[in-house]
Amino acid sequence: MTLEIIKPGLETSVQDWPGRYGFWNQGFPPSGPMDSWSFRLANLLVGNVVGAPALECQYIGPTLRFGAETVFAVTGADMLPTLDGAPVPLWQSVTAQPGQVLAMSFAKLGARAYLALAGGIDVEPWLGSRATFHKAGIGGVGGHALKPGQQVPLGVPAATAKAGLIVEEAARPVISTDRRWEIEVVAGPNDDWIDGEGHARFLSADWKLSGKSDRTGFRLDGPDWTFTEKALHKAPEHGSLPSNIIDQGYPLGAINLAGQTPIILVNDGPSMGGFINPYTVPQAAFWKLGQSKPGETYRFKAVSVAESQAMARSLAALCTDASILSSIV
Amino acid sequence: MIYPEPRYLPGGDRYMLVEFGNEMNLELNFMAQGLAAAILEARIAGVIETAPCFASMLVHYEPEIIGFDDLRAELSRLVAGLGPSDALELESRLFYLPAVYLDPWTRACVEDYQAKIAPKTADWDYMVELNGLRDTNDFVRVHSGTEYWVASLGFWPGLPFMMALDPRAKMTAPKYNPPRTWTPGGAIGLGGASTAIYPEQLPGGYQIFARTPVPIWDRAQRFAAFAGSICLFRPGDRVRFVPCSVEEFETIEREVADGTYQYNMVGYGKFSVALYKAWTASLGARRTS
Repeated sequence: MTLEIIKPGLETSVQDWPGRYGFWNQGFPPSGPMDSWSFRLANLLVGNVVGAPALECQYIGPTLRFGAETVFAVTGADMLPTLDGAPVPLWQSVTAQPGQVLAMSFAKLGARAYLALAGGIDVEPWLGSRATFHKAGIGGVGGHALKPGQQVPLGVPAATAKAGLIVEEAARPVISTDRRWEIEVVAGPNDDWIDGEGHARFLSADWKLSGKSDRTGFRLDGPDWTFTEKALHKAPEHGSLPSNIIDQGYPLGAINLAGQTPIILVNDGPSMGGFINPYTVPQAAFWKLGQSKPGETYRFKAVSVAESQAMARSLAALCTDASILSSIV
Repeated sequence: MIYPEPRYLPGGDRYMLVEFGNEMNLELNFMAQGLAAAILEARIAGVIETAPCFASMLVHYEPEIIGFDDLRAELSRLVAGLGPSDALELESRLFYLPAVYLDPWTRACVEDYQAKIAPKTADWDYMVELNGLRDTNDFVRVHSGTEYWVASLGFWPGLPFMMALDPRAKMTAPKYNPPRTWTPGGAIGLGGASTAIYPEQLPGGYQIFARTPVPIWDRAQRFAAFAGSICLFRPGDRVRFVPCSVEEFETIEREVADGTYQYNMVGYGKFSVALYKAWTASLGARRTS
């Protein structure tokens, strides 16, 4: 059972969740889907485990032909999918017949769509994961985004995989229609390098997502930062800029201050470097990063560590079979 | 300074940064690696992985299994159990890597930069000048005359940041400004006080002056020395560069291509921080070149 890639879209890649854990100390990031909420639900719709390998489609989705009868589901961004020309509903499982063509176009709402296939995608794991890490060329199909003409092998579907399942409305992420997002952040690890005014400015300003963003980092444009004495008067081995620090490990989601430019380190980000991280975006807020487009505006809202962990718990509770309903009443 | 107690700092909902001090000092890295080893041995439920760096260590944990406060309590218990850094004995493999110093490939790269991006003193001459050495031969002797300690890996997967263990071989250099757009794979460079090997052709900023034919990346996983990973090194490994000729380089390159190359790795040693510190103290005076 395979999928034939007719048009790959802008950057369509195999991802699994939570991705490649255990190799951060050798510099390998987890990779995985940027919006794991939509990703997990897509898998549940087709009878897979939440983390099974599926496709992440960025901005412009792929066009592909099914080699066999296949149950699939599309979630996340609305790329106006069609099956042999007929509209495909999002957040629902659908059966494609052999030879049918699924076509996705430019994301009308959101930025990343997820296409899950019953049985998942049957490619070789690399360091325990099938997630594509483009920068190093590992995982997925040949280490990179899909290319025209490739045949993507599918796994064996669960006996329960069937069309007509739907994600309950209340369990779906609500993608912003006004191009503004409120993103939760937790202060630290290096929050004591920023002065009181700097913190107030960060939390009250509009930050614009730059076009120079990808799966390694999301660059933000906004006001300048101001620093505490600790950043301004320090030993030379920290480096010459106020935001320089002796090379340290970076948490995924860190708001990494490269000079004056904050860069949110996302799924394929670096494991270490010599800049401070005054705030960190918790995992449960990553879906908002994944669904925002360059030019859109972020406002940051401080939450505690405990609150950010409670967010992850609520999200995990939504990503269960309890959210999957049968659409046939 | 080395903090009397490490600082335990949150990084979102699932990371903790443990900071041991705020200076560039091998001892802090020994502490970070000692704690990483202790965490592994203690098998703390909920710890997914650790990443030691120069003066700190990052811990990735699953908050549904262990909360931030409980993790901090567990780690401070382990830190107390480790005692002073002198008591640390760290697993440490030693790799011998052949390298052509002042080689034609990094030379071509530097000349390309000089011609297309910015004028600069050739990297090996710059190293001589900055570090008060006699000439490039002296530089090669000093750079290849010490073991290097893999303090951390990053920037690119598998790229080792290494510190000279022999204080007499300590050299420093600023990074390129602006950075290079490309560096030959296998190039060896120095920036700040750390030596790095570029696993592949990559942009870069370190002063470069040598190249090894031995891959530190193995996508195809053909060589046993990689022990199931794609990259050769782990924190706490040691590296020794063995100067070789262009002809030897090419021979090894062929052996690598046909899969017959034998990695020269010594795996029976432990690194004793106490013995290391006693030895460095006995050296007293600085480099005598």
